[in-house]
Amino acid sequence: MLQARNLTKRYGRLTALGDVSFSVRAGEVLGLIGPNGSGKTTLFECMGGVLPLDEGSLVRDGRPLSDRERAATLFYLPDSIVPWPAQSVRWAIEFTLGFFRGRTDQRDAVIEQLDVEPLLDLPMASLSKGQRKRALLAIGLLMPQPVLLADEPFEGLDLRQSREVAQTLRSYASAGRTMFLSIHQIRDAARVCDRFVLLSAGQARGEGTLKELAAAAAARGSSAGDDLEEVFLALT
Amino acid sequence: MNAKSAGFAFPWLLRKEYRELVASRAWWVLLFATGPLVGVTFISAVRTYAEASGLNGTAAGVGEAFSPLVGIWAPTFSACEVAAVFLLPFVAIRLVSGDRQSGALKIEAQHPLPAIARIGAKALVLGGAWLVASLPGAIAVGLWRSYGGSVYPPELAAVLFGHLLNAGLTIALAGVTAAVSEHPSTAAILTLSVTVGTWILNFIAAVQGGIWERLAGYTPPAMIATFQHGLVRLDVVLIASLLIAAGLVLASVWIRTGVAVRRRVRETVAWSAAAAAAIFACTFATPSWDASESRANSLPEPDEHALAQLHAPLRVEAHLAPEDPRRADLERKALSKLRRVLPRVEVQYVSSTAIGLFEQTRPHYGEIWYELGGRREMSRSTTAEGMLETIYDLAGIKPPAESDDSIFRGHPLAVPPKGAATVFYGIWPALVVASALFARRRPA
Repeated sequence: MLQARNLTKRYGRLTALGDVSFSVRAGEVLGLIGPNGSGKTTLFECMGGVLPLDEGSLVRDGRPLSDRERAATLFYLPDSIVPWPAQSVRWAIEFTLGFFRGRTDQRDAVIEQLDVEPLLDLPMASLSKGQRKRALLAIGLLMPQPVLLADEPFEGLDLRQSREVAQTLRSYASAGRTMFLSIHQIRDAARVCDRFVLLSAGQARGEGTLKELAAAAAARGSSAGDDLEEVFLALT
Repeated sequence: MNAKSAGFAFPWLLRKEYRELVASRAWWVLLFATGPLVGVTFISAVRTYAEASGLNGTAAGVGEAFSPLVGIWAPTFSACEVAAVFLLPFVAIRLVSGDRQSGALKIEAQHPLPAIARIGAKALVLGGAWLVASLPGAIAVGLWRSYGGSVYPPELAAVLFGHLLNAGLTIALAGVTAAVSEHPSTAAILTLSVTVGTWILNFIAAVQGGIWERLAGYTPPAMIATFQHGLVRLDVVLIASLLIAAGLVLASVWIRTGVAVRRRVRETVAWSAAAAAAIFACTFATPSWDASESRANSLPEPDEHALAQLHAPLRVEAHLAPEDPRRADLERKALSKLRRVLPRVEVQYVSSTAIGLFEQTRPHYGEIWYELGGRREMSRSTTAEGMLETIYDLAGIKPPAESDDSIFRGHPLAVPPKGAATVFYGIWPALVVASALFARRRPA
């Protein structure tokens, strides 16, 4: 569906992303796995058009996406933001639905699945980290773009909520939506993702299903087996 | 997403900016403060006007030639200038920086709506906010009318227009600084630095004269002063409008966080150069309109008709230092009025010091030389009458007969500012507080 080719981002002498390439397939849940500081957020912000890339491009059908095409294809949901802090969750959802011409028909279902109903009349700034994450995920799922890039979608959620959110994300992927999730907790990633992109120190160290990555690790002499944590450590 | 979807998105953006404005404390503080600010200046102006008009035993007749423009509107609306300089920037910075601070910009920036539309929505809402904040000024006009005061709509409109342009300049400046800066406090410091910079420019102009004087004529304080005298100058209007447009464009360049900094710098340089060229061209626009009822910025009409017969260029050489009060007199009372009638006037000031104090004994100091059609004549008068006499003499034109008909008699009004304190210090603040509480508690 989409290829990232040689994505490079530098901050002065520091290379945050160096020639990162991978592909995104329609309807899959793709996990971007990497430790803190590996460049996951930078990669998402560059893909979402929030930060400028120094080199590289997003390619579809063999040609680079224009800014407009990118905006129509991807929606990036940032982590650690408190947008429109004085406004209620209800207003934030209505605003993003209207502004982006989102999936109004799915509003009630998304609100119910993510248990956002009790939060609707609360100001965004008053929400706890987990509540805010659910509210923002609701906004992300209601956006019209076919690909959702969600930065740390399980951050701030308890175990039960993480599982419910994972289930919700999977159900939307099954319905044809493509999910690209940045996750630093490898166990969370293993639970929800179909394929993985391993990122370490701004470099893509591997891409594929757990089986494919395990094979790559084995080829390097690792006995990691099907444990994603061990595979990640072997490849990075 | 296409142009149609951008059209759908803009009203949403306007609604969002409005809600963000109403949610900001800075806006309510501005609104709260403008009432007492206008109240202080209005009450003081009406009292002074009344005393000069004969209230409390002052000799009646002193207030003759008193114009509400100078006596009431200029001081009353100077409160708006204070609000525009010291309060409005914080409201504007809050609205522009708020998106970046909260992270909302990361979401909103993903919409392909042009950045200028995003900044435009903020500017429109801020413009509307300024109009609401100017309501105490409108109340002052209503009170003045209720006292039986005279209102000459063109001169009042000129003052209001000047303050609207000034607010536009503040919004554009705050927009740029907020878009460029990572943090609102940096934006506030930058905005106030530019304001202080214009004051320094005015000071340098007073000392140095020349090109500095010309430049200082386009700073917000000088611009406001022009409108407060009831003079609407095309060059000032065009340059202020261009500066507002340039500010909004530059703000829109810098809120595009997804564009490389190098490209944003290049675009900034290009837009700034284009704006500078356009502003330079506008300095040659000479038309102006005297909206004052007293024709405070014009020579008497018979003299204007007589001067219209002059087609040769007039050259004036004034041996007066920049800080010499006679030079300010000559400029304000005579030459500025002459320029409005004779576009081909070339004025040159000659002095070797800024204050002129030690030049007084120099042989030619204080002389004002007029040159027309190869003939020269000297005068030391700094009044319009003295200047006209010399020019008529040089041109060989018979001075028009003086007529009492065109003399402005003024509108003296000896009444105290009854009820103004209650309105501006009581009712207005109470209304603002009540509205703030209502607006902030209202559910989405």
